Amino acid sequence: MTQEPVAIIGLGVVLPGASSVGQYWNNLVAGADAITDIPEHRRDPEFHGAPGTTPDRTHGRRGGFVADTVDFDPLAFGIPPADIAEMEPDQVTALAAAAAAIEDAGGPTALGDRSKVGVILGRGGYFSPGLVRFDQRVRTVRQVRRTIRELLPSASPAMLDRIRDALLEPLGEFQTESAIGLVPNLSASRVANRLDLGGPAYTVDAACASSLIAVDHAIAELARGRCDMVFAGGVHHCHDDTLWSMFTQIGALSQSQRISPLSRDADGLLIGEGTALLMLKRLADARRDGDRVYAVLRGSGISSDGKGGSLLSPSIAGQMLALRRAWDAAGLDPRQAGALGLLEAHGTATRAGDAAEIATMTEVFGPADGTAGVVGSVKSMIGHTMPAAGAAGLVKVALALYHKVLPPTLHCADPNPLLADTRFRVIGEAEPWPGSGTPRRAAVNAFGFGGVNAHVVVEEGDTASRRRIDVHEPGRILRLSAQTPAELALLLDRPQQTDVLGHGEARIGIVDPTPETLAIARRVAAKVAKDGKAQRGVKGIWCAVDPLLPSAKTAFLFPGLEADVSPRCADVARHFGLPTPAWSTETILDHAESVTAVGRLVHTALGRLGITPDALAGHSVGEWTAMRIAGMFTPAPTADNIQRYWSGRFTAPELDYLMLGCPVTEASELVTGLDVVISHDNAPHQTIACGPADAVLRLAETCREHGVIARTLPFRSGYHTPFLRPFLAPYAALANDLELRPPSVPVWSATSVAPYPTTLNAVRRLFLDHLLQRVRFRELVEAMHANGFRVFLQLGAGQLGSFVTDTLGDANHLAIGASSNVHAGLDQLRRVATALWVEGADPRFEALAPRQVRLNSARPLLALPANSRGLLDVTPEVPAGLSDDIAVAYRELIDETRRSAAAVVAAMASDTIESTVDVSVEMMPFLRDHRFFRQRPGWPDEADFWPVVPATTLIDIACRKVERAWGLPTTGVRDAAFNRWLIAEPAKSIPVTMRRAGDRVEVAIGSYASMTVCLGKRRPDARAFTPRRERPVPFTAAEVYSRRMMFHGPAFHGITRLNGLGDHHLRGEITVPPAPGALLDNVGQLLGCWLLATCQESLLAFPRSIAEVTWHAPEPEPGATVECQVEVTTPQPDVAQMDATLFRAGRPVATIVGWQDIRFSCDGDMHRAYAHPEVHSLSAVDASGRAVVRDRWRSVAAREFFAGLYLGAAERAAFAACPPREQRGWLLRRIAIKDAVRARLAANGVTGVYPAEIFVHEDETTVSGLHGRILPEFGVGATLDGDVAVGLIHPFPAATRSAT
Amino acid sequence: MTLQPYPRTTVFDTVSELLAPLVGDLDVLGIRITPDTRFHDDLVLESIDLVTFSGILAEHFGPDVNLADYLTQKDLEEVIELRVGEIASYVAGRLARRG
Repeated sequence: MTQEPVAIIGLGVVLPGASSVGQYWNNLVAGADAITDIPEHRRDPEFHGAPGTTPDRTHGRRGGFVADTVDFDPLAFGIPPADIAEMEPDQVTALAAAAAAIEDAGGPTALGDRSKVGVILGRGGYFSPGLVRFDQRVRTVRQVRRTIRELLPSASPAMLDRIRDALLEPLGEFQTESAIGLVPNLSASRVANRLDLGGPAYTVDAACASSLIAVDHAIAELARGRCDMVFAGGVHHCHDDTLWSMFTQIGALSQSQRISPLSRDADGLLIGEGTALLMLKRLADARRDGDRVYAVLRGSGISSDGKGGSLLSPSIAGQMLALRRAWDAAGLDPRQAGALGLLEAHGTATRAGDAAEIATMTEVFGPADGTAGVVGSVKSMIGHTMPAAGAAGLVKVALALYHKVLPPTLHCADPNPLLADTRFRVIGEAEPWPGSGTPRRAAVNAFGFGGVNAHVVVEEGDTASRRRIDVHEPGRILRLSAQTPAELALLLDRPQQTDVLGHGEARIGIVDPTPETLAIARRVAAKVAKDGKAQRGVKGIWCAVDPLLPSAKTAFLFPGLEADVSPRCADVARHFGLPTPAWSTETILDHAESVTAVGRLVHTALGRLGITPDALAGHSVGEWTAMRIAGMFTPAPTADNIQRYWSGRFTAPELDYLMLGCPVTEASELVTGLDVVISHDNAPHQTIACGPADAVLRLAETCREHGVIARTLPFRSGYHTPFLRPFLAPYAALANDLELRPPSVPVWSATSVAPYPTTLNAVRRLFLDHLLQRVRFRELVEAMHANGFRVFLQLGAGQLGSFVTDTLGDANHLAIGASSNVHAGLDQLRRVATALWVEGADPRFEALAPRQVRLNSARPLLALPANSRGLLDVTPEVPAGLSDDIAVAYRELIDETRRSAAAVVAAMASDTIESTVDVSVEMMPFLRDHRFFRQRPGWPDEADFWPVVPATTLIDIACRKVERAWGLPTTGVRDAAFNRWLIAEPAKSIPVTMRRAGDRVEVAIGSYASMTVCLGKRRPDARAFTPRRERPVPFTAAEVYSRRMMFHGPAFHGITRLNGLGDHHLRGEITVPPAPGALLDNVGQLLGCWLLATCQESLLAFPRSIAEVTWHAPEPEPGATVECQVEVTTPQPDVAQMDATLFRAGRPVATIVGWQDIRFSCDGDMHRAYAHPEVHSLSAVDASGRAVVRDRWRSVAAREFFAGLYLGAAERAAFAACPPREQRGWLLRRIAIKDAVRARLAANGVTGVYPAEIFVHEDETTVSGLHGRILPEFGVGATLDGDVAVGLIHPFPAATRSAT
Repeated sequence: MTLQPYPRTTVFDTVSELLAPLVGDLDVLGIRITPDTRFHDDLVLESIDLVTFSGILAEHFGPDVNLADYLTQKDLEEVIELRVGEIASYVAGRLARRG
């Protein structure tokens, strides 16, 4: 006996990458891969991807994951939103999927008699998140307590209790009610409970075959007549570590992190999660009730492997049994040609699993014979969803049968060679599913651990409409406002951080912006800005700079009967908690009721958004909807009216409507001579005529000849024509009995083209005139427009909007439908809200926000709150017998010590330490011996001296800080770079960052210097001196300092002997001076001496970088004597580079490699001027006292150096503020002026004047003496010609300014 | 006098040009009309716009390009799925008939 066919009438899914059936189908067709890395908040790096093969870890890092939020309104189901977080995710998804399936099937009426509706869900007994969290509370805390007691027997019970309480604290307060929510079967029972279902509701566990077993149960319930409808499917939201570990241990989890079913290199599965639900009904009942049938279940078969396979590896014989049973139940032969077009394989992508399944396919469906059905597995896209897998596959094939499209399978470019022997092929892209002699058929395999097998045979049902409907998830609405159109265009160019931005009347709204639509929006905004004409609605973009509202009036227009209209509004009803309007065009009365119901729903919804009308109007029967909503009457149920006024039989004249594509004037001509009248004047391009069928046919023919588009409408009522007069009596009686009230909002009549009259009798008369006279919709629109109406909302789907626009043409107006055939209801309302907002309204967008809940899939390990960490750090007991204040002091001492020790340990463990160094002449008095410039003795402004921290002192600072921070000796420095002179006046606090990696510490001293300090063992060996040819040094060590060849002061005087000079080396002896870093500084001084002895120019040199400093012994103390040899190269004209070695009493002390100095271009004159500025000038002064100075410095640094030499503090500030291109000339002129003044002073007997003592005023015509220097009243001037400046004293004195 | 049959591509170009004003500013909207472009779904035009368009076609090509006639042969679903290429083919066919 064959099984009773069962129809699939509704679908609901929550799957990876798809929160709706529409999204799932889109993904299937597009071949979207929903496998991702494990989301951060569900990943534990100590488990996922941890190395090793023990059970407490897995190599797996990828899988199928559903979104964290689900569109679900808990209040609509009577669930307090706070309870959701405690519920197992699969209970929430089961409810959400059931709700979606109901809406998909047409609304709650599709449930029929709820006492005979069941819920049967496949669900495994795996460790789900809610249970994990509960187990932690019940058991893990106890376990930790016991383990601590075993580890630390001295811990007191009170302490253990404190630990237990601290562990429980992050878990939150325990809610008794939520414990019950963890009972596993509630996934099914809760659906029955919330939807008030009375049929059997339970879960079944057959591992991966569970959901097809559930479907089999559902078919049985329906066949027995115990249920009239069943929600069947599967749920699996688990992803627990135990599940991952198990699959890893049995070797089933893919090493390549990809699931590629039926592919040659399939290497295992990836784990997924999800919920898939189908609403099942006996096919006969579905046809009787006019349900949309996705597909028909023809046969279902189940088997076990017996002892054939092991528990984990499949048995072909067992699988074949299930398939054969299913095809027998369907009464079909699987081997017949064309028997099966699409097979959804179990397809776990394990070697054994795929091979066995392919062998089963060959055995049951026969070997390759030239036909080619398609085989595939959705697991390639969403992973293995375990108990939900069968249902996910069944939903896939149902959609494929409905849309007549064969979906692709991913990652199977190189299929398993065994497939070549079967009647199936794998496809990588969707293909149309062609029809043939036999009905299209698909089948689904599901094989579970333990050897349970299931198979379902499915046949096509209805065919999906080819109309495109929009199924994307609702996204953002971008709303930008500005004061002017130009500003609006600018706002579009800025990256949009928020969705609502700006103020002003120029507005643009973009629904679901993509980069493409944003580009279009920019052009739209530019166009609107240019010509001021609003753009309304194309590509989801509305833009207006001259809003219609609030000055214009808004009209709600209610449609009448139209062909080809099926407004989508189930989601609107669900969202606002309103009844879903039933939609039927079966009879004319059904159709009219449906249209009215939609109108009322949309009107309420618009009210919730704060969108209200200034008037209502309607088209044909829509006018009654308008009257009703305005409260003019409350109708009795249609059935009652039919009974009362039509004696139970509603009749209408047998007349046809013909829709003509021409204006009423032309239509009137066309109907002359025919028994046809004009019934509707809809728009300049549409008129409707009405008459008996044969007359209408002749009219249609005439229209064709005249090139007028004509189409018959699919309903007959005879309304709006004199033909109705013989049928008028019941309407008149009804009108007479109607209790009429004044409208709450003005209602306009399309018959009288004016607002409804106010007297009862006039209203009743107009009611009847409406039935006998034509609908003058076009004139109505014109009249309302003349009355100030500019915004026209159609409350339903249909053509009224296009009538309005056709009538009003270019006159500025907004016409938009609040319901659509294409967009989901809420989506269309978002567009309406956006369009109205652009025109200046203020709708409540938040009322449209989808209600979502968050699935609580978290299973974090227990963690103590921060203030409880370290609870077991034992405090030493205070010795007995101490007085109180000593005890207090003792405890404080212990606490202080522990804190310091903790800080030290923390620092040692830490690898990055931030600290500072305070740099000032006060803190580092030795810097007075490292002043770059000389000034007048006793000069009060230290900054003018330029006390610079030597590069080698910076090295010393870095090494000492590292040693203090980590308590380890430093052995050298690498890659030291000195970027800027660190001048110690004014005092500064410089940040020092130390970043340790192993035995290297990277140190950065502000932006001044950086280096890598080395820790570890010293290397005692070093190169010896290389003997070279040498000659005596032309000056002595003493002369170096007495002749100020080096600028250093006594704290840095280290060179005590100069022993030999060569073309590339200098040998000398250094006695270590006291200043930090002074020894290495003197090595640098030896380099300077070599330059002085061998070069004529560029004698000024400053360290730029040192590649290596290595200490072979502890740094010598001050007073120790060290032999030093430096070997010098000049790789470039402005660079001097040296290596150096230091020995003490024959033992190596240090090796330096790659010390580079920057040489300033500086000839002997410049050097002399630098060394003794009070005597020598940079300028050449001629006999008449004019000072001529030329720009001779080749780098900005050199120029800054000489600026420092000549300028005082105030002048340096002015120099820095000078635009860079003018700095050179500014400086040259100042130098020239100062040198001219000094020359004149010298001529008058005043010598030894330092340049910084002279302040040149901004206008460069006067000078003053600083800090006690008195100057005569000089007038000065300077000229600049190219790179030469000339300074002079004017013959005429200027007024003296007081010395600053 | 026989007229040369209009090659199909230029007929399509003309039909597209005549259609463009009904759609809006194609450049701003980034729309390219191809033979597969659907009247209703892609260009967001309504059935009343078909009426306007039939008038435009008749005006440009002559009364024998009678869209009304063409559409009576189609059922409602086919009219909804109408593509610009189909209209262009129809127009080209009518024009070829003349010659």
